[in-house]
Amino acid sequence: MTATPYHGLRVVEIADDPGGEYTGKLLAGSGADVIKVEPPSGAAGRRIGPFAGDRTDPEASLSFRWYNAGKRSVTIDDAEDAGRAALAELIAGADVLLTSLPPAQAAARGLVPAELAARHPRLIVVAVTPFGLDGPWSAYRGGDLVGLAAGGMLHSCGYDDHSIPPIRPGGDHAYTTAASFAHTGLLLALLERRRTGKGQVVDVSVHAACAVSGELSNPFWFYPKAIVKRQTCRHAQPAPTQPALFRCGDDRYVYFALILADQKPWRALVEWMDDMGLAADLTDPAYDDLAHRQANFAHVQELVEVFFLLMDAETAYHEGQRRGLPIGVSRAPEELFDDEHLRAREFFVEVEEEEGARPVPHPGSPYRFSSFDLPGPRRAPRLGEHTAEVLEGV
Amino acid sequence: MSTPLDRRPRKRRGPLAGLVVADFCWMGVGSVATRLLADFGADVIKIEDRSRLDMPRRLPFYKGEVRTYGEEDPNPDPDKGGLFNNYNRNKLGVTINMRTERGRRIAERLISQASVVTENFAPGVMERWGLTYERLRELRPDVIYGRMSGYGHEGPHSEYRSYGPVIQAVSGLTHISGLPGREPSGWGFSHMDNQAAYYNSAALLMAVLQREITGQGTEVDVSAVEVGINLLGPVMLDVAVNSRSTRGADFPTGNRLEHPQAAPHGVYPAAGEDRWVAIAVFDDADWKALVTELDAAEWAADPRFATQAGRFAHQDALDEHLSAWTRERDPHKIMHRLQAAGVAAAAVQHAGDLNERDPQLAHRGTFFELDHPVIGEARFEGSPVLFSGIEPDHWRSAPLLGEDNEYVFTTLLGMPQEEIAELTREGIL
Repeated sequence: MTATPYHGLRVVEIADDPGGEYTGKLLAGSGADVIKVEPPSGAAGRRIGPFAGDRTDPEASLSFRWYNAGKRSVTIDDAEDAGRAALAELIAGADVLLTSLPPAQAAARGLVPAELAARHPRLIVVAVTPFGLDGPWSAYRGGDLVGLAAGGMLHSCGYDDHSIPPIRPGGDHAYTTAASFAHTGLLLALLERRRTGKGQVVDVSVHAACAVSGELSNPFWFYPKAIVKRQTCRHAQPAPTQPALFRCGDDRYVYFALILADQKPWRALVEWMDDMGLAADLTDPAYDDLAHRQANFAHVQELVEVFFLLMDAETAYHEGQRRGLPIGVSRAPEELFDDEHLRAREFFVEVEEEEGARPVPHPGSPYRFSSFDLPGPRRAPRLGEHTAEVLEGV
Repeated sequence: MSTPLDRRPRKRRGPLAGLVVADFCWMGVGSVATRLLADFGADVIKIEDRSRLDMPRRLPFYKGEVRTYGEEDPNPDPDKGGLFNNYNRNKLGVTINMRTERGRRIAERLISQASVVTENFAPGVMERWGLTYERLRELRPDVIYGRMSGYGHEGPHSEYRSYGPVIQAVSGLTHISGLPGREPSGWGFSHMDNQAAYYNSAALLMAVLQREITGQGTEVDVSAVEVGINLLGPVMLDVAVNSRSTRGADFPTGNRLEHPQAAPHGVYPAAGEDRWVAIAVFDDADWKALVTELDAAEWAADPRFATQAGRFAHQDALDEHLSAWTRERDPHKIMHRLQAAGVAAAAVQHAGDLNERDPQLAHRGTFFELDHPVIGEARFEGSPVLFSGIEPDHWRSAPLLGEDNEYVFTTLLGMPQEEIAELTREGIL
């Protein structure tokens, strides 16, 4: 096994939101040396919950631990001359400066991406900001909800009942979508630097990242000029489609989109229902005809609803999949640890976050390479844990 | 606006120029993953089967005809599908019948001229064609073999069928999305097709970087479910460290934010049919700024709303008051007015807004246009990243079915014209 492609890559991170921080986490998880620069009072994320137990100290934030796993931490007070000099030196020795500072703050702190890139010709400055580094909205404030709204992703998510507003999906998906583009953007810049020896500015907009990630919403506008309308837990469409979320007997849900036009899954479903004695009249050869199925869709849907109510969600998932149907159980995060597939793949990795405490399972790397091993998840740094070793080295 | 209608392949520009990809990807997730490579200069040769059309070629994304994607033509024109155009711009297109021995031999010749092979079939399909990593290495010792699937290529569920919404459900993303006490609202699109594609692009580029450093190729295995779990966020550690249950009545929290305790933090009705505005207030400074814009509303002085903790505790009342104010107003006007005052706010934009009335996206040139011989002028989603040193090389809209057979098989494989004609007649190409 050889080293990862990020071996020896030094990334200095000045980021206070998940857009920058998750990008840094992706790099750290793949072998880069990510040095997070924090003010002496700690990064803002250290004060954001959830916390471990009842604690609220800077090491107890699970939000911080999640977004900063695998990094090193140095504390620098760049309001002081000595701090500014240390930061400048750190940046001068870096391959990558990763920042989520909005343009005005970057200017106030003397960290304007274009100026830094000009001063350090090999430096790649990755700036992940709410609306990008310039343009009419570049001074606007962001946030995950604002990014999803401005970028259009939010418009497609919510319930059939349109008196309920669009609902933000759980997680920080505006930020993590931008982080994906920051990651590929950095890789393109690294490949370019191998050819030219030159770094550059990689300007990632959370708003724009969301605006190109709505899947079908833009193509529906580009072509038929249709605006898709949100529907409960299924694709937003120009016109309503049948529900795809089915409640099971154990009060859990499965996702199953019954597409009538496909003959094979239709037959598999009816056979399954028939094996359970619940196919009712669906075995009637008349249903082999698509037009008949379409004409009786409400009846079909009703029978399928009853069918799923008579089994538990895990059974529906595995038995449906065994029969070749693309069906998914809606899992709660805490149920993932027991998934036999993930266990067999040794996906979760136990991380010792604190001495003496029970190790904590973290999701492992989502990509696997045959010719090199990624370090995978490691714990987040304690505040200033690496200040001495890092600043001595510069 | 559009490029002239010269569709002949040319030398590509960009950081990936010279990289040749034998691309077996199809559907959304695979095609989006290799789209980034094509945008930035790689020769991505999309290999298709005439008798088993890529689904986006069939789906009814047509100008002037509004249909849901379930309402496809029984015999669609494969060159008319807008979704295919969207996913496959800047790629070359060839057709090979992989169910024939001669077809598979041609594919192997193509692979030996490429240095990256990509696929997102159900596990086992490439093996059935003999295209294992071992075989690929015989054809090209430093090959990069990018394999994308729902569950990864090993493990008891590796053959489970999936697409975006199934991945979202199984990875937990669906469950953590919705209002408390209701069924999950989940996702209104296949976000995991996007994110799995983006992670696959990154994995391929990491492999390319690694090969440039060491000369070694690699097999890459990406599981979409595992990407999804990585996107759950801090709640994953909350359940692991604190044994929190997310099946209680207090979870999920809809648009309200628990960490940090922001309030108001929500999506509020605006003037117009199904129009909304998102507003996020994190601290006292944000609140003061918001209040100055509320046209001297008396309710804003309510002592319950004097502190961030108080506002968080009384969100029902707060949201009701704020909604009454937003309801009368245009969502974009609210956005600009609040942002000017320093409050984080945004209209909930739909695709029409993004394309027609978003000056920031226009400023960045996020969308662009290319002509297409069947579809005509079409818009595309471009790069949300602007680089100071490189730019995407948008040279052509998506290939017509088999459009580049002659170019690829003559220039890359040195095949005589007559042989191509014969293979075409015999249904091999």
